[in-house]
Formats: sequence, structure tokens, C-alpha cells
Amino acid sequence: MSQYKIIFTGPVGAGKTTAIDSISDEPPIKTDASATDMTKSRKAETTVAMDYGVMNLDDGEKIHLYGTPGQERFNFMWDILTVGGIGLILLLDNTRADPFQDLHFFLDSFGDFISDTSVAIGVTQMDLSSKPSIEDYHKQLQETDLKPAVFSVDARVKNDVSLLVQALLFSLDPGLEDE
Amino acid sequence: MKNKKEAIKIALYGMDERACKTMAMYLKGPCKGIAVVTNEVNADIDLIDADYSKAKELLDERKSVTPDRPLILLSLEEVLIEGTFFVKKPIEIEALVAAIKQATSGSIKKTKPIAKKEEKELEKTAEIETTETIEPPVVEKKKAATKHVDSEEVKKTSKHRTAKDLTESKFSAYMGHIEGVDFSDPEHLLKASFNAKEYFFGYVQSALNVCKAKGRILQLNSGWKPLLIFPQSQEVWLDADDKQLRAFAGLSIKKNASKGMSLSPIEKSTVKANEKMENFYDSDYFLWKLAVWTSKGRYPDVIDINKPVYLKQWPNFTRLLVTPHSMRIAALLVREPRTAMSIANALKIKPQYVFVFISAANSLGLVGQAKRQSDVLIAPAKVKASKAKGLLSRILGRLRG
Repeated sequence: MSQYKIIFTGPVGAGKTTAIDSISDEPPIKTDASATDMTKSRKAETTVAMDYGVMNLDDGEKIHLYGTPGQERFNFMWDILTVGGIGLILLLDNTRADPFQDLHFFLDSFGDFISDTSVAIGVTQMDLSSKPSIEDYHKQLQETDLKPAVFSVDARVKNDVSLLVQALLFSLDPGLEDE
Repeated sequence: MKNKKEAIKIALYGMDERACKTMAMYLKGPCKGIAVVTNEVNADIDLIDADYSKAKELLDERKSVTPDRPLILLSLEEVLIEGTFFVKKPIEIEALVAAIKQATSGSIKKTKPIAKKEEKELEKTAEIETTETIEPPVVEKKKAATKHVDSEEVKKTSKHRTAKDLTESKFSAYMGHIEGVDFSDPEHLLKASFNAKEYFFGYVQSALNVCKAKGRILQLNSGWKPLLIFPQSQEVWLDADDKQLRAFAGLSIKKNASKGMSLSPIEKSTVKANEKMENFYDSDYFLWKLAVWTSKGRYPDVIDINKPVYLKQWPNFTRLLVTPHSMRIAALLVREPRTAMSIANALKIKPQYVFVFISAANSLGLVGQAKRQSDVLIAPAKVKASKAKGLLSRILGRLRG
């Protein structure tokens, strides 16, 4: 089974599940299953993310879309989930009280993974709150060595999520073309 | 860490999917793989969330179906039931690991038979239907605070629409054609520049700068439709569709006509823009689009096309027009300065696409001209293909449908 995956992270409510749902080819594994269902499909030794989706490529290869739990108390999962990851999609909720704190927290937490791969940042809920602006996020990033793509994203809109993931891919290899 | 073969198998009950996944990862990570989650058939241990509403039924069922299998109960309140092991919630690693080890050592803790009072307590705690076994720290509740939602912002639908992503075939029709430029002639190509000041685009750029400096709403009067500029919210308002705007953008404004251009202050109270909220546009989006329609494949004459340029940051592509190859160009230019022709060669694309991108990005102040001697001294590195190029290309193809 392919181990290639793209990791979606960010604080609670930023839209990770929704974003994965937007581009997944299969319905994401639901996290609200009733307790009576949970005994039915238990697999031994399976490590799964909180949110999971999959992209089916033409040659049969699958790209796993893993959403990490957003709360800090689950950070023990992050190292497990990033193994074999192609890159990181960081979603930030612009209606949260301090999105910059979230930005720095997740960039620090995934620092090693980002160094080895890349990150693209999507700012959600900008239709509800336009401040801080995308420009403000870039100013924050000047304090780091990173120059990632930062896009305004509606996680429900496939094109938005697709463009963000494309930016991640191009930042890994600008020479990429469609096959 | 325990060998996978030796890992104890635990079946979970009274937990939803999310809690089960949490437990699976918790056992693998912090508990160092002491156990793995499995189904009820193969399990060595049964673990029940005793706070689940039907916990008692589950407990009775497990005792009946697998009476010899050790049982661990999780609960917020202490629950002592004969023949079971108890772990208090929120779970701590040491407590859970100890319970698992005890359960598998065969030494079932003998507890006194549950008194009626304790049974009632189990039922009482079971009424609390929890879906998580790990309690959030207080600091995270503070983080959950949200800001007031801007209801007017929500109505400005044009601002938050997803970007048009144009392919090469669609782009020519979208961009329009420019007379007098032969893009197939390399010599001609390097002279294919435009002066923004001769177009509506240039006036809009200047107006935006004046507006920003003065910090007040201004109206640009061009002899065509009035353009309202809102510096605080970085918006413009224009009652015109794309077809009309594209046509006007392509017109060269002669010196005589430019005298008709003026800026007039507007009081917010007199602005009737509220009537058509969908005519609000983000000023970056508006300027970017104007730049593309003005450029038509040419580059702005303020850029020395023979010298390297660089990109200060990625454009916000989801809310702009995505011209062909613009994301590839952006990815290349944020890394290091390059000349336009070097970009075109490296990416094997027509220079017009690079010129259009530079025109648009420059309109937002995102492009810088390399001035350091070192930037022109040594050729930029060749674009190295990533090891996973094939895979990444297939993912890209899938995303683009």
C-alpha cells in the first residue's frame, strides 16, 4: 500500500475535515460514528488520522490525506502522522482570537517536517473576518526563514483547496507539469 | 517499544470513532506501542468507557461473552467493580500502562463485590455520554474565543469568489490581442513593453496610492464609469462587468484625454455602493486583472527585462486570476532572482506568460528588480527535479482534473 500522504493541520475549526472532504475521492472516514458502530470495523495495528481522505491517481496509486487533530494535547500524534508525508497544508482560522499565535505554533511544531518537505498556508473564514489580511500573515512570516504560499481559502470550495495543494507541489518542484 | 507481534490487543467499547482513533494513537505513541486496538474477536483485553450511557449493558455483555478476558474501565469518577481494572479519566500514561500490564499478568485485582450504591453510581456516571477520554487543558478554551463576524463582509461575494484558473487555450481569448507585437520574434519580444501611465491601469494605480496616503474614500473620474476606492478596507467599487472593463483597460489614453481624469473625495454617507454589494472587489484582485488586460503579453516598462527580478512573496492566487504557469513562475521566483527569459527557458513556456505574470505581480508591488552585482554575476541554478517528480506530476494532474 502506498505510504504517500499530504498532511493537513491547523487549530480546531480551521476547516481540515472540510478541506479533505473537498478534494477526497472517497467519503472521508466520519468521526461522528455512533458508539455502537465502533466495534464493527476495528483493524489491528492500524494507525489512522483524525480525518482521512484519499486521492486516487490514474495509475492506481493512492495519496492519503491525513488531518491531524488540532488540539495541542494530541500533539503526540503529529510525529506519527507525518512519517512519509509529501508536505504540509496548514489551515488557519481567521476568526480566532490570535491567528498569528496559531501560525507560529504550528510552524514551530512541524518545523522539522517542513524543513524536509514544504508547507502551504490557507487562511479560512476570511469572508467572516477580513483581518488580519494575507499581507499581515506575510509580515509575520518575515520573522521566519520561510516564504510559503499563503492563500485565502474557503475549505468547502474544491478549487481553493486544490490551488493550495498545487502551491505546495510547485514549492517542492517548480518544474512540475501535468502528466 | 514492544515488538508489534508482542503488542497486546485491546478492543474498545463505548467510544465513538474519534475517541477510538485517539486511543489507538495514544497507545502507539505515548504508551510506546504496549497495545494495539483490535476487534472484539481477537482482543486480549476489553476496555470500556464507563461514562458511556450504555456502559452497564456493555459490561454485562462482555462478562457474558468473554468471561475470562480482562476488563479495563475508564471513568471520570472512580468505579470499583469486581474483576475489573479501573483507570481514571483524563488518562495518564502510567496509569493506563499499569492497568494493561496488570490485566495481562493474570493477577486480576480482587475487589469487593459492587454495592448497590456503587452500581447506582456507575449508572449515574454512565448518563454522562462523553466522546472523549482526554480532557482539554484550560488554555485551549481561551484559544477557542472568536471575533465578531463582519456581516457586511459576508455580502461582498465577489471578493471571496474562488480564482479563475486559466489554461493556455482559454487565456488568449481572455487576455485579448495586442496589435503591432510579434511575440514570435525574439528581438521584438524584448521590446514588447507598455507604459502603465498610458492606460486606465496606471491611473488606477496612482489613485490607489493617493487614496492610501490620504486615508479617505476617493472617486476616480475617467470619463467612463466612476471607480470608488476604499483605502481602509482595501476595496474598490465599480459598476461594470468584465467585458466592459476589459475593453476599457485596453484603450490607450492619450494625453488630451488624461486631463479628464480626476480624483474627488467622497463622504462615506453619500456612498450608495451599499445598493450593490456584489460590485465590491478586493483592490488587489482588481489591479491584478487590470494589469493582465493591459499587458496582453507585454511587460511593464518600469522593469528592466534584461536584469533579474524576484518575487517578495507568493501572490494570493485563490483570490486573483491564475494565468497560465503563474504558480510555477511564482515558485521559481520566490527562491531566487531570475531574468524573464531565464524563467521562460527553465520552465519551457512562452515568454508572454512570464511577462503577464510580472506585470500583474508588479502591480501589487510583489516584484523587485535585483540590484546586487552578485545576482547578475552567476547564473541561477538549474531547476532541479524533485525525486518524486513523477508522483507529484500525477497528483497535479489529478488536482487539475
